[in-house]
Amino acid sequence: MTVTARALRLVLTQRTALLVVLLAVVLVTLTTLSQRNYLSAPYDASYLASTLINAVPLAMLALAELLVITSGRGGIDLSVGAVVSLTGMVFGFAYGQWGWPLAPAILLALVLGAACGALNGFLVAHLGFPALIATLATYYAFRSLALVVNHQKPINSAPVQELYSTATSVPVPLVGDALPEVPLGIVTFLVPTALVVWLVLARTTAGRRLYAIGTNDVAARWSGIDVRRTRWSAYVAAGAISGLVAVVTVAQFASARPDSGTSGNGMALPAITIAILGGVAITGGVGRVAGVVLATLLVVWLNAGILLAVPGNRGSQFQLFALGTVLVVAALLNALTQRRYGGSR
Amino acid sequence: MSAPALERPAPVRAGRVLPFPVTGQEVVLILVVAVLWVTLAAATPAFATEGSIVPLLVAMTPIALIGIGMTVVIVTGGIDVSVGSTVMVCAVVIAKAMVGSGIGLPAAVGLGMVVGALLGLVNGALIAFGRVQAIIITFGTLNLFRFAGLQVFGSATVEGIPATLAPFGRGEEGRTLGVPHSFLVLLVVAALAWAYLRHTPGGRHFYAIGGDQDAARLAGIRVRARIVLGYVVTGLLAGVAACFVIAQGTSSLAASVGSGLELSVIAAVVIGGTSITGGRGSVLGTLLGALLVQTVRTGVTQLGWPSQLSDLFVGVFIIVAVGADLLRQRRRPGRRRTT
Repeated sequence: MTVTARALRLVLTQRTALLVVLLAVVLVTLTTLSQRNYLSAPYDASYLASTLINAVPLAMLALAELLVITSGRGGIDLSVGAVVSLTGMVFGFAYGQWGWPLAPAILLALVLGAACGALNGFLVAHLGFPALIATLATYYAFRSLALVVNHQKPINSAPVQELYSTATSVPVPLVGDALPEVPLGIVTFLVPTALVVWLVLARTTAGRRLYAIGTNDVAARWSGIDVRRTRWSAYVAAGAISGLVAVVTVAQFASARPDSGTSGNGMALPAITIAILGGVAITGGVGRVAGVVLATLLVVWLNAGILLAVPGNRGSQFQLFALGTVLVVAALLNALTQRRYGGSR
Repeated sequence: MSAPALERPAPVRAGRVLPFPVTGQEVVLILVVAVLWVTLAAATPAFATEGSIVPLLVAMTPIALIGIGMTVVIVTGGIDVSVGSTVMVCAVVIAKAMVGSGIGLPAAVGLGMVVGALLGLVNGALIAFGRVQAIIITFGTLNLFRFAGLQVFGSATVEGIPATLAPFGRGEEGRTLGVPHSFLVLLVVAALAWAYLRHTPGGRHFYAIGGDQDAARLAGIRVRARIVLGYVVTGLLAGVAACFVIAQGTSSLAASVGSGLELSVIAAVVIGGTSITGGRGSVLGTLLGALLVQTVRTGVTQLGWPSQLSDLFVGVFIIVAVGADLLRQRRRPGRRRTT
C-alpha cells in the first residue's frame, strides 16, 4: 500500500482525521485571504476566539444529539430546540421574577430539561414510538407551552439582563495570556459538558452499554443489558444538556425569549447536522465526542469567515449554502467509505 | 380497537389481497374529527358556518397536497424534510414570474410543478444513487434550497403580486357552488393517488420497497427509479401547493414562506397512520390527518384560546394516533413486534 493510498484511507475512515484536514484548509485559506485584505475585518486568533460564543449552544446540543442518535433504533431528538425555549422561560421566571438565587435556578433548568427528555425517552424506549415521531410531537407541545406560558412575551427583568455580564470573555484558565480570551460560556458550560459526555461514553460501562444497544438491540438484550433503561437515559441526558443550553441562551440574549430555540429553522436541525458531520452514524452505535467538537469548530469558524468574506445579509445566506453542502458531501462520503472500506470509525 | 375488517381475511379476487378500503386508523380518525366538529359546533356557533368551514378546507390544502407525496416517500421508507424549502423556492419563482412577465394561471402552476419536480429530482437522485439516508440528505437540501430561494428573492420580499392565482384563494372567485377550487384539486389528486397506490402494480411497488428493499429488488422492482419517482412527485405537489400558498396570502411574499411546513406535513402523515418505518400507509389517512390538524388550529382560534396552544394539541394528537397504531400493531397476529 502506497503512502497516498494509506493517507486517503486514514482520512476517509477516521472522521477526526478528515475534520482536522478540513479545519486546516478552512483556517489557512481564510487567514491567507485576510492577509491579502480580501476580508472586511482581520480573520485572526482573537476574532476566532470571540466567535466561539456561537459554538457553545451548537456544540452542547450536538453532544445531546450524539447521545440520542448513538442509542440506535432510529434515535433522533427534534425537540431539543423546543426544550431550550421552554426551560429558558421557566429559568427566566425563577431567576428573573421569583427572585431565586442563580445556582438553584440553573439546577431547576437542568432538572426540567431532564424531565422533558424523560418524557421523550419514555415514549421511545418504553412505549416503542419511533424517535422521529415522539420528538416531533413533543417539539410541538414544548414549543407551544413556551409561547403560551408568558403570553409570547420575553422575560427581561433586571436580574436576567445582568446575566449578560457572564457572557463576556475571560483568559483561558491555566494557560493565561498565551491564548486570546475566550467567551466565559466555553469554560463554564461547554468544556465541562464535553468532558462529562466523553468520560461517560469512553470510560464507563454505561457508555459501553449505550454503544452496545445502538449497534445491536437484540444482542445487547441477550447479553443482559437493560436496553430500555439505557436508551431512556440517553434521552434524559439530552434533555438535561438542553436545559443547560437554555441558561446559556438566556444569558447570551440578556432575555428569556419564548422562541429562543425554535425561531427560524430552530436549534435542532443545526445540532443534528453538526452531529452527522462529526461522524455520528444515523443508524446508531457509532459516534465520538472529538468528532462532534471538531465539526462544531469547523462550522463555526467557516461561518465566521463567510461573514467577513460576504458582508451583510448575503453572508448569512451563504452560511446556509455552506452548511447544506458540507452535510450532503459528508453523507455521500460516509456512504462511499462504507462501501469501500467497510465503514468509518 | 382493531376493526373487524382487519381480522377477517379480505375476499381474494384474482390473486389480489388488499385490506378493506377504510382501515382501523382511518375509522378512528373519522370518529375523532366528527366528535371535534360536533363539539366545536356546540361550543361556538361560528364554527358550523360557511364562513368558517370553507377557509378551513382551503387552509388544509397545501399541507394535505404535499402530504400525498410525503405518504409515498414515507411508504418507501424514506422521508423528505426539505418540502418547506421547496415550497419557498417555487413560491418565489412563481411570484417573480407573475410580477415580472405577468404569466397566466396555467403557466404559473406549470412553472411551480417544473421547479418543484426538479428539486425533488435532486433529492431523489442523491438518495437513490448516493445510497444515503433520506433524512440526512434532505436536511442538507433544506439548507441548500433555502439558499437558492433567498438568492432569487434578492430583497426581503416580493411586492405587488397580481391576483392571477385568486381562483385558488379563499375569496368568492375561489369557489364554485360554494366549494373551494383548491379543495377540489386536492380531492382529484388524492383520488388518483389512492387508486394508483392501491390498485396498480406500480403503486404496490412502493409498499414492497418499504417492506423490504432487497426483497423488492430481487422480485424485479426497479427500486431506484421508484424511489426517485416518489421524491419527484413530492416536489411536484409542493410546487402546486406553492400556488395555493400564494393565492391564500397577500400581494407580498416574505422570505419566511414555507418555513417549518415540513413538520406540519409529517405530522399530518403520521397522524393518518402511515408507518414511519415504511411499508404501510394510505392517502385517505393523510387527508384525515391534515383535516384533523387544521380543525384543531381553527377550533383553538375560534374558542378564543391563544393560537399557539393549537400546537400543543397537535403534539398530543400525534402521540395518541401513533400510540393507538402501535397498540393495534402489537395485537395484530403474525406480525413481528417492533419494540
